[in-house]
Amino acid sequence: MSSEAQALAPPVESRAIGMAFAALGPIAIGAIVAARAEAITPLLSAPAMLFGVTAATAPALYIALAATGDAPPISKVVRAFGIAFAAFGVALAGLILPAAFLAASSISPTTTYVVTTAALGVAGMLALLRLSRELAYPERGLGASLVFFVWAASTAGIAGRLWIDLLQELY
Amino acid sequence: MIGALETPSVNVPRSLGTIDLLLRDREVMLARIRAGTNLASLLKTMVTTIALTMAIVGAALGSYRGGVQIGYAAVKLPLVLLGTAALAAPALTAVGRAAGRRSRLVQDLALVMSALAFGALLLVAGTPLILLGRAIDLSYHQMILMTVSMFGIAGLSALVMIINAVAVESMRDGSRGWRTAVLGLCIVFVTVGGQLSWALRPYLVRPRTPDVPFVRAKEGSLFDAITGAVQSARGIYEREEAPVPESR
Repeated sequence: MSSEAQALAPPVESRAIGMAFAALGPIAIGAIVAARAEAITPLLSAPAMLFGVTAATAPALYIALAATGDAPPISKVVRAFGIAFAAFGVALAGLILPAAFLAASSISPTTTYVVTTAALGVAGMLALLRLSRELAYPERGLGASLVFFVWAASTAGIAGRLWIDLLQELY
Repeated sequence: MIGALETPSVNVPRSLGTIDLLLRDREVMLARIRAGTNLASLLKTMVTTIALTMAIVGAALGSYRGGVQIGYAAVKLPLVLLGTAALAAPALTAVGRAAGRRSRLVQDLALVMSALAFGALLLVAGTPLILLGRAIDLSYHQMILMTVSMFGIAGLSALVMIINAVAVESMRDGSRGWRTAVLGLCIVFVTVGGQLSWALRPYLVRPRTPDVPFVRAKEGSLFDAITGAVQSARGIYEREEAPVPESR
C-alpha cells in the first residue's frame, strides 16, 4: 500500500467502531421505518438488503477488475471493503438522529420514507466513493474505472430497487 | 517612579474573555479548538452564550406582539438553535470521517458551537433593529423580511467561520473530504433547523392576534408544507375552499 493510502486509512480501532456502526445503522434506519409503518419487516430487511446485495455483488467486482488486468491483491480488496463499510457505518451514525427527529416530528409517512432513503443513500454514496479511492491506489486505468462505475451503479440500483419495493409494500 | 505605577487590575470572568476572543480574534480561537485546549469549558461558555443571546433575540421578536409572546419566543428560540446544533453537529464528524477527513467529535462540536455562538452574537447586535422596527410600526411582512435578512447574515457568518476552520485543518493534516463534510453539515442543519423551528413556531406574531399558543398543533412537517404549497401553486388543492374565520 502506498504511503498516501496508509496515511488516509483510518486506524484499526476506529474502523472496528465504524464496522459496529455499519452493523447497527441499517437496523436503526429500519426501526425508524418500522415505527412509522407499524410493521417489523423493515427492522430485518434493511440490514439484510445492505449486506446481502454487497455480498452478492462484491465477487463480481474482483473478477471484473482482475479481467481488466488492474486488480489489486485480494487482501487489499477485502481491506478496502472493510474501510468502505466502516465509512458507511460512521456516516449513517451521524445521520440517524436527524432522520429520526424529522420522521418523528412529521405526521406524513412520506417524510419518514424520504429522510430514511436519503440517509441510506448519502451513507451509501460516501461508502462507494471511499471504496473507489481505496481500490485506486497507487493508480487505476480507464478500464478499471469503468468497471468500478458499472459495478457501483448496479449495486446501488439493486439495493435501491429492493428498498423502494419494501417502502411501497408498506405505504 | 512613573514606570512602576501599577495599572488597576480588572477581574474579567474567563467566559467573557472567551467571548471577546471569539469576536476579536477567531484565528486564535480556532487554533485553540484545533489544539483541544480546555474544550469542555469552551463548550459550556458557547452553550450559555447561545442560550442567552437567542433568548434576547426571541424576546425582541416577541415584543412585536407583546405580552406573553415575549416569554414564549425567548424560551423557544434558544431551544431551536441548541436542539438543531445537537442533532446536526455530529454530521460534520460522521460525514467527514466517511469521506476521509481526520475529524474528532468533541473538536467539531466545539467548532460548530463557537460558530453558532458567533452568529448568535451578531443577531443580538441586531436586536436594536428589531426594536426599531416595532417602534416605527413596520408592517408584519416587513418585519419578517428584516428578520430573515438578519438571520441570513448571521448564518452565513457562522458558515464562513466553519469553512475557514475546516479548510485550514485539512490543509495542515493533508486529509480530504472537508467539502463533503461541510456540505453534509449544511444539508442536515438546514433540514433539521427548518423542521424544528417549524414545529416550535410562532415567534413573530401580528400585534392584533388575540391569543397566542406556545406552539401550534402538530400539522405536518416543513417538507409537507412546502409540498402542499407547490401543489397549490400548480392549481392542485386538497380542500375545496380556504377556511373562513368564524363570524362573531
